[in-house]
Amino acid sequence: MRKNRSDRVNLLNESFVLALSSPLSLYVHIPFCVRKCPYCAFYSVVSKASEIDNYMNCLDEELKLWAALAGGKIKVQTLYIGGGTPTLLNHWQWEMLISSLERYVDFLPFLEASVEANPGSLTADHIKLWRSWRITRVSLGVQSLDDGELQLLKRPHSAHDAADAIAALVASGLDVSVDLIFGLPGQTIQSWHRTLKDCLNFGIRHLSIYELTLEEGTPWGECPPSGLTEGYPLYRFAQWYLPKKGFIQYEIASFSLPRHWCRHNIAYWQGENFLGVGPGAWGYLDGFRYGNTREINDYFDQITSENLPVAYQEILPQDKQAIEAVILALRTRWGVTATTFKRKYGWKAYRKFLDTWEKLPSDCRAACRGRHAFTPKGFRIANALWENFL
Amino acid sequence: MTNMNNIRNFCIIAHVDHGKSTLADRLLEYTNTIDSRKMRQQFLDTMDIERERGITIKLVPVRMQYRANDGKEYILNLIDTPGHVDFSYEVSRSLAACEGALLVIDAAQGVEAQTLANAYLAVDQGLEIIPVINKIDLPGARPDEVLRQIEEVIGLDSSQAILVSAKEGIGIPEALEAIVKRVPPPTGNEDAKLQALIFDSIYDNYRGVISYVRVVNGCIKKGQSIFFMATRKEYEVEEVGFFTPFMSPAEELKAGEVGYVIANVKTIWEARVGDTITDANSPADKPLPGYKHIKPVVFCGLYPLDRDDFPRLREAIEKLQLNDSALAFEPETSEALGFGFRCGFLGLLHMDITIERLKREFEIDLVATAPTVAYEILLKDGEVIEARKPSDFPDPVKIEEIREPFIRLTIFLPSDYVGKAMKLCQDRHGEFVSLDYITPERVKLIYDLPLAEFIVDFHDRLKSLTRGYASIDYEQVGYRKSDLVKVDILIHGEPVDAFSFICHKDDAYKRALGVIKKLKELIPRQLFEVAIQASIGSRVIARENVKPLRKNVLAKCYGGDITRKRKLLEKQKEGKEKMKMIGRVQIPQEAFLAFLQANEEE
Repeated sequence: MRKNRSDRVNLLNESFVLALSSPLSLYVHIPFCVRKCPYCAFYSVVSKASEIDNYMNCLDEELKLWAALAGGKIKVQTLYIGGGTPTLLNHWQWEMLISSLERYVDFLPFLEASVEANPGSLTADHIKLWRSWRITRVSLGVQSLDDGELQLLKRPHSAHDAADAIAALVASGLDVSVDLIFGLPGQTIQSWHRTLKDCLNFGIRHLSIYELTLEEGTPWGECPPSGLTEGYPLYRFAQWYLPKKGFIQYEIASFSLPRHWCRHNIAYWQGENFLGVGPGAWGYLDGFRYGNTREINDYFDQITSENLPVAYQEILPQDKQAIEAVILALRTRWGVTATTFKRKYGWKAYRKFLDTWEKLPSDCRAACRGRHAFTPKGFRIANALWENFL
Repeated sequence: MTNMNNIRNFCIIAHVDHGKSTLADRLLEYTNTIDSRKMRQQFLDTMDIERERGITIKLVPVRMQYRANDGKEYILNLIDTPGHVDFSYEVSRSLAACEGALLVIDAAQGVEAQTLANAYLAVDQGLEIIPVINKIDLPGARPDEVLRQIEEVIGLDSSQAILVSAKEGIGIPEALEAIVKRVPPPTGNEDAKLQALIFDSIYDNYRGVISYVRVVNGCIKKGQSIFFMATRKEYEVEEVGFFTPFMSPAEELKAGEVGYVIANVKTIWEARVGDTITDANSPADKPLPGYKHIKPVVFCGLYPLDRDDFPRLREAIEKLQLNDSALAFEPETSEALGFGFRCGFLGLLHMDITIERLKREFEIDLVATAPTVAYEILLKDGEVIEARKPSDFPDPVKIEEIREPFIRLTIFLPSDYVGKAMKLCQDRHGEFVSLDYITPERVKLIYDLPLAEFIVDFHDRLKSLTRGYASIDYEQVGYRKSDLVKVDILIHGEPVDAFSFICHKDDAYKRALGVIKKLKELIPRQLFEVAIQASIGSRVIARENVKPLRKNVLAKCYGGDITRKRKLLEKQKEGKEKMKMIGRVQIPQEAFLAFLQANEEE
């Protein structure tokens, strides 16, 4: 629910601000794209260079506001720079971003810094810059290695561009993750297999696979393309194929070589605190959740008047927190850990969780050493299972 | 004051659409009983639904004054009769209040099923019957052919039939003269002990129960203590009077007269149609003949669409019942529909009209389940029980025999369609009774048919098979032994009451298959494979499986936007909350509704 700015939680007066004194995760949104993909519901705009410069200044301001609340530098363990298209920033804009981050962020204890890249706009300069700074991990928006499928998705790159980008990133020594989409019109098990296999052959260590989702407010959400294939068999194929290649499914959509998990995403799923900066970014501090305005001009206005550009906020009561924690934790192979869960949400909430858990079909769940997690089958129908916890 | 010799009590009987109400309107107009300026078309049909459907449910007796050609002043009491077989008991009581009847026949359509049934009822009551051939102005009118049918089919003298066009006002004076000349005056004794026949009762919010009566012997006046012979209750008369057609109080009602009695009767069940009113202080020896306690024969469940409307529905049914003593109801709960009522009706039309009135007059959105009948079950231990719904059926091993209500169905139809109609009757387990050619082109076909087979969609089927040329009439002919079974539907091993049904043994497999196929479409995929089985007792006769769910949306976590996922899940859950859990299976309300409402077979 959108609240009037006047009845907003005043962070300065609230205990949530205390969360800022402990290490957390930071998400930085770069809301620019060369063009909008018809399926994407992330906030982004097709930009002009001057607008990006202005934006870099605003990000600096927003970080400064948070640092002020934190009473010093923000302690960050994992950093994720996503978009939009972060590789649309040129060298100088990256320099600006890095200097802002260095100014307001204390990377301690530092675990990971990821950046999203697009094969069409990734340059050798980007890689060099990232290597020379703190970036450890790059998530490349490949989506497919089939030119037909890429055209259909209206991606601004070809399969060849994607292959070059993967190769270059792997060669640079960064941890490389590739994003793929399945359930595309005309996609078959064979074409899906080729894409997966080609990706692995480049030596990537992490793979995120997403089913094509028709989101409201996107062109495909309003007018779906014809010939959509059912994603289920493709997903099941990936669940069979990737483990054979040494990849562990550590989350519903994420596969990686052991210990090459994305730490930043794990922080989300474990209900840890995180800040999000930039339009449409989200943050969570000990039960307080906020969402920034999605409108870039509104964002500019707010920052100019030295306000946090928060447009949505809620304080989750303990029981809601517990439910969210269950759903998020069950995305991962580690699932709900009895001891941690009981400590955080109490014995009653745990009992309630178990009651529901035990009613789920037995082939969808597994319990092992105090952890309750979905089986591969459970992952496949997770939506239907989660619903039971609401 | 009037002399009994100047009174004529008559009614108009006709097949639906043959123009009964229009004729009644013309009579009222011609006798200046009502101002033609104030005349609403078809005055006697007081309810909107009646006017729309062209049928009469409630009887409004009207007193007309008419100066005949012989120069004398006559009182003509027109007692309107309900135009449908559902109300045959009421019709018979109305007829019992008369000495004569105008039998209206459409000049184009000729004798139809109800023409015959009504004519026979009138003959049975010993009424003078005056055939009236209506709509002679129509281009397709064949009065000569109709006259021949009156002779040959009904067996009445047609030589004195009156040719009328009620619409054009042709033949109205002739009809009035015929009533005066041919309908005998009443033959009661004013000095005898009071006997008055109640032929209808209505409930008025201000006045309580108003009974329409025909005084047969003696007289009834204000202040008199009266006694209702069937219900054995005593009241004091508050007011008596005539319908002109509005209620106008009078000193007294004497033998031969028709009017109303208000006597502080609280509920309509105390003033039953067919009951005899007598004097409490000097009662008649015996009541007038023909009283029957009427029982509902067709049942259905009525449920509010919005569960919060339950109290309103109760109130509405109670109000309707005040005016409709034939309407029976008892509370019922359904797995799918929540709280509602199982209501009993005299027939399908009675049911339709009641539902329509609840919707229209009380503005309640409701769901009506498919109609059923009451079965009689003879148990092995000799006890006979009544089962109004499948769940009333005992374990099959305890059942000696099952009996179901039968009707004798008379169908009038063009001979071209006889084959189709007979096939339909056979398919519905009808027993052939007779087939007569009325004319080379027209056939009277009689079958005995289980009522349960009739109430589902028999009439619609017949209409479509015969392109609307068939007319039907039926009477109940009691219970007969039938080869019936109760089919249970099990979902994932759990029997679901709401889906059980009773049917003829030979149809069990086919109907079971239809039902489980339909359920297979309606039940969404679950987390596991779900078996839908149909069984008779413990024997499974058909089975279908619903494949397990395999749909999932693996969306990105959208930069930590957990609210998005939460909203999606909540939306998803909301859809499921409208479903009913049967064991571990979620069944959407639509499945119950689709099943309960219409049982269309493929």
